[in-house]
Amino acid sequence: MNRAVRIGICACLAAAVSASAAEPRSTPAKPVATVRVEFTETTLPNGLRVQLVEDHGAPVIAVNVAYDVGSRNERRGRTGFAHLFEHMMFKGSSNVGDGEHFYQVFSNGGSMNGTTGNDLTLYFETLPANQLELALFLEADRMRSLEITQKKLDNQRQAVQEERRLRVDNQPYGAADEHFDELFYSNFAYQHSTIGSMDDLNAASVEDVAQFFKTYYAPNNAVLSVVGDFKPDEAMALIRRYFNDIPRQSEPPTVDLNEPEQNAERRETMTDALARATQVQIAYKTPAGNAQDLYALRVLSSVLQQGDSSRLYQTLNKEKELTVSLGGFVDERIGPGGLYIGATVRPGKKAEDVEAAIYEEIERLQQQPIAEWELEKAKNTTRYGYLQSIRTAQARATMLGTYTVKFNDPNLINTRVAGFDAVTREDVRRVAKQYLQAKNRTVIVTNPAPPAAATPGA
Amino acid sequence: MKFSILACGGALFAWGALCGAQQPAADSAAPDSLKGVELKGKAPVNPQTLRVVLPRAQEATLSNGLRVALIEDHKLPTFSVQLLLTGGGLDDPGNQHGLAMVTASLLREGTAQRTSRQIAEQLATLGGAFSAAASPSSGETSIGFGGLSDKAPAIFALAADIVRNPAFPEAELQKYKSRFVSQLQQQRIQPGFAAQEEFMRAVYGTHPASYVVPPEKVLTDLTRADLERYHKAHYMPNNGIALVYGDFTLKTLVQELERAFGNWSQGAAPKLSLPALQPPSKARVLLVDRPASVQTSLWVGGLGIERRNDDYFALLVMNHILGGGPASRLFINLREDKGYTYGVYSVFNGSRFPGVVLASTDVRSAVTDGALQELMGELRRIGAEPVPDQELKNAKRALIGGFALSLESPQTLISNLATQKIYNLPADYWDTYPQRVAAITAADVQRVAKKYYDAGKLQIVAVGDSKEVKKVLEKYGTVETQGAGN
Repeated sequence: MNRAVRIGICACLAAAVSASAAEPRSTPAKPVATVRVEFTETTLPNGLRVQLVEDHGAPVIAVNVAYDVGSRNERRGRTGFAHLFEHMMFKGSSNVGDGEHFYQVFSNGGSMNGTTGNDLTLYFETLPANQLELALFLEADRMRSLEITQKKLDNQRQAVQEERRLRVDNQPYGAADEHFDELFYSNFAYQHSTIGSMDDLNAASVEDVAQFFKTYYAPNNAVLSVVGDFKPDEAMALIRRYFNDIPRQSEPPTVDLNEPEQNAERRETMTDALARATQVQIAYKTPAGNAQDLYALRVLSSVLQQGDSSRLYQTLNKEKELTVSLGGFVDERIGPGGLYIGATVRPGKKAEDVEAAIYEEIERLQQQPIAEWELEKAKNTTRYGYLQSIRTAQARATMLGTYTVKFNDPNLINTRVAGFDAVTREDVRRVAKQYLQAKNRTVIVTNPAPPAAATPGA
Repeated sequence: MKFSILACGGALFAWGALCGAQQPAADSAAPDSLKGVELKGKAPVNPQTLRVVLPRAQEATLSNGLRVALIEDHKLPTFSVQLLLTGGGLDDPGNQHGLAMVTASLLREGTAQRTSRQIAEQLATLGGAFSAAASPSSGETSIGFGGLSDKAPAIFALAADIVRNPAFPEAELQKYKSRFVSQLQQQRIQPGFAAQEEFMRAVYGTHPASYVVPPEKVLTDLTRADLERYHKAHYMPNNGIALVYGDFTLKTLVQELERAFGNWSQGAAPKLSLPALQPPSKARVLLVDRPASVQTSLWVGGLGIERRNDDYFALLVMNHILGGGPASRLFINLREDKGYTYGVYSVFNGSRFPGVVLASTDVRSAVTDGALQELMGELRRIGAEPVPDQELKNAKRALIGGFALSLESPQTLISNLATQKIYNLPADYWDTYPQRVAAITAADVQRVAKKYYDAGKLQIVAVGDSKEVKKVLEKYGTVETQGAGN
């Protein structure tokens, strides 16, 4: 318990700024094995934040570039654009050919991808350690000089529309999943889907792409995190060589993510031609992802619906045999989020009974403190999950970039576990009462429709 | 694990992040072999392939004959154990395909000392993980557990009780059957699952390898006496090997294992006898009708090789070139050049019995015709023409270079170790792997492509709206149609 496990040794170079952490709000009840991710942070003259973690544990390097833009930044009529733009980032730049980015990464034994969410957009690659320069060159070149043409845009528009069909239109409950945010949120920023509508994807133009690139893909709107087997001074020299002269742009406009207070339950019933069973989706509004109460809400969610020891599994799935499957999570957004619960109803059972049983369990959380073992479960599961999640260089790079863009706090990578350890049984009861109220709830029930009777959506 | 819950999390709540990306498109400047990718030649690629040495496992045998192999790593205070027992679904009696699977699934539903709920609660309190699986087509039952190092003794004790003393309570068996049947209905509405079931039936016929899930009738008829019998015959230390990764020295590990499993008594280890396999004798076209489907799922392939087959490395390289990732022919052609799909890949596998070779994709219904034509064209081309030198070199470089990344992945290292042990490969198998990849020639690639993607025996499976795709499929042979979810 007392050993200090270091994964990634802090190299004392450059101006190691930041790393000022959110303090855990009280001393943890038990000592936690001190695993720390030591990182340094430097800001280049053009505003690019650079984070380094030196780790010689495996001969690999991982690079993550987090851009402070997501579907929250999209305007009406251009839903899906942030994600479509992400695809354009693989279509070539001044010194990198169309498709060359991924070709070089994969041909040299690496892995890579990009991902777009409501809040931010990530680009990342892991390569054998002797290819650090390649990774930095590829990321810098597209940040500096993306090549945008109508043909490339049309080509990726098709790939994205196919992705939409695969993930939404051809999936049972896909339409309900997409509609959920539209009902749950009032503010357009989070109300529309990240994949976007077919019409809006069709409307996207090369001018939109160029403008979006200039506004959001500037060094001063990005975080570069590099983790792995390198010498920090050499890595920093390469980073300066490739990124230093990318021009700064004016600050992007900020987006208001605030939600008006919800005063009554929101509810809809849908039908789905691809479904065979009824699905119930429930979510309660929760505060922004870095709010202190989120720790207690995540413990609550663990007790309620994580794994086969959870209350909902034991009661609804096992004892009453009301559901086929169930589960959920608390999301962690820059702005307001939700505690989600999803359940698929067993054939012959009623959605109302499933809902009533869920609300009964929630009421129990409001009335009585959770058991000691349940609190321990949430903490130990979190700690184990955390350790698993920081194993790879890529995961650490991505986590640093994500926490920086979302909450301006990369050191959350080290302090988050302590946040869970500080949660008490009374905290859980308090947040259950405060947030899990009927008037704070959104519900969609989706019933199967006979295929012949339904026309699937666009 | 509770695949139902995980599957639900994935299917219902994959909201938020979308994984994008990777792409190329056509450019006349590129050499033919790289059609679809434009290489400007300015990227600072280090020409050296980083050679790495995978960690060697330390081995021991417990007093009761349980073999142990440890990959020691103290980077994080965690551990994971994979206990492999020979048998699995391939050892199921001929009329009980699924017995090994149900036995494994019921382990955690109660022991002589603990109820199902107590097991769940105690494991969760420790923050530990436990899973047990044996698909009807597997040669092994695989039991996994792990957690925080400081909880290791308690997790080992709990896991040992679950593995050694399951009670298979009647009520839990009935509940399991009911859960399983209702989950199956959910799985079958996923086009990918429906395609997989149909494809496996097409390739394997009545061989147990054809089962993705057990037949419903078999499942409902199983009794707790069947489970007890299977457990007694297969769950014994001299029929297993424990592969361990993480924060242990061999000495401590053996002590922990002796404490938890040491007095587990030996038995007569079963001899695995595999039923004979009838390979497909002709090409077939199979359509699973899925009304209202906006996409067609296409699965095309046939019978592959056993894991120990000498063609393994040639197939590995061939598959990488054909559809082993976004830099492959299928991806560049169908996605990047034609815009037919979000993704298209090829895979191959093999175990104690021959696996499959498979190329698959999901495309919007309207382009089923073009997509299938291009996919079939690529399968033909790789068997008809030698692969250009640069493309072959890049594929080998990718496969060898990728070894560095596996050093970060306990799952990969343990799975490599399992492969070596299960299939009795030489102890230096993974050390010589790069040389074996490097030795593959263009002629090897062409030969195995032709042999395993044999046009005369190719199985074409489509899941989609019959109204839209049946006519397209008819170009490839007589279409055999069935409804989804049957």
